[in-house]
Amino acid sequence: MSVEYGEIKIPIDLIKKIEERVKETEFESVDEYATFVLEEVVKDDDEEIEEVFSEEDEDKVKERLRALGYLD
Amino acid sequence: MIVVLAIDALEHTLVEGFNCKNLMQEFHGKTDISEFSEPRTMVLWSSFMTGKNMEEEVMALGDEGMWHTKFDIKNTFFDQFKDPKIIDLPGFNYIREQHDKERILLKQFFDAQSEDEKKSIRTEYNNHAFEHHRKIKQEFIDALNEDYDFLLGYFSIADVIGHLNFGNRAMMKMIYKDMDEIAETIKNNYIVLSDHGMDKIGMFGDHSNYGFWSSSVKDFGNPKITDFAEIIKENQQVK
Repeated sequence: MSVEYGEIKIPIDLIKKIEERVKETEFESVDEYATFVLEEVVKDDDEEIEEVFSEEDEDKVKERLRALGYLD
Repeated sequence: MIVVLAIDALEHTLVEGFNCKNLMQEFHGKTDISEFSEPRTMVLWSSFMTGKNMEEEVMALGDEGMWHTKFDIKNTFFDQFKDPKIIDLPGFNYIREQHDKERILLKQFFDAQSEDEKKSIRTEYNNHAFEHHRKIKQEFIDALNEDYDFLLGYFSIADVIGHLNFGNRAMMKMIYKDMDEIAETIKNNYIVLSDHGMDKIGMFGDHSNYGFWSSSVKDFGNPKITDFAEIIKENQQVK
């Protein structure tokens, strides 16, 4: 069965940010990325949110990466 | 053709959580790597291919030297096959320039002082890993259509990206779904195997103390990574 598509309006600034993010991923377009993220939100709204940077976590992971031989 | 999909840091809980049916297959579980002092990538893959715990031998090379480990095929179970194809496996034919650069960028990330600098290095690190992944994926898919009697494709993407992005669930799900699609392209019986899984430390990822296996043929229980040399040889004899 073919999928039907519609249009939604989102701010241009947000599109530019997504364009930058898409470059770091396997996604081929903003449409593809936005569809994926929205599906995630709709399907898994009880899942964990994206973690943010913390120096404490960075110190912990640095120590572990040293133990595993990734860092001097 | 016997096929092994060797995925670094494939995490059991995420394979199930993201419902990756082709990675799970009919039977799947965790491997027991408790005999090793740390879940080190080079030690674990070396132990897999030789069928022996190689921790002492690999660690004797030192933290930097261990990344240059290279076993002769005669010391591995790959020697049992007439025409094996092994892609990018640590300890065997690992593409050194690629993986050396990953570690250099990882070091640069942690040495960077500002958030902007870290962000820029992480972008370069991620792009570098994804570019390599696309090449390995193509090489693996092409090899599936050749006449090799054994094919092993090693995919480092979940480990490399996971170290700096494991807290980014959307990114990790995209990687797991891509690996699941790669598994779907395999038409032969195949084994999925990881060296270890991954634990979340905030936005980062650390190696977990168990690996992952799956098979469409048999329930292996809670095997050691060193058991797979024998398991695969038996599978070859059955064929």
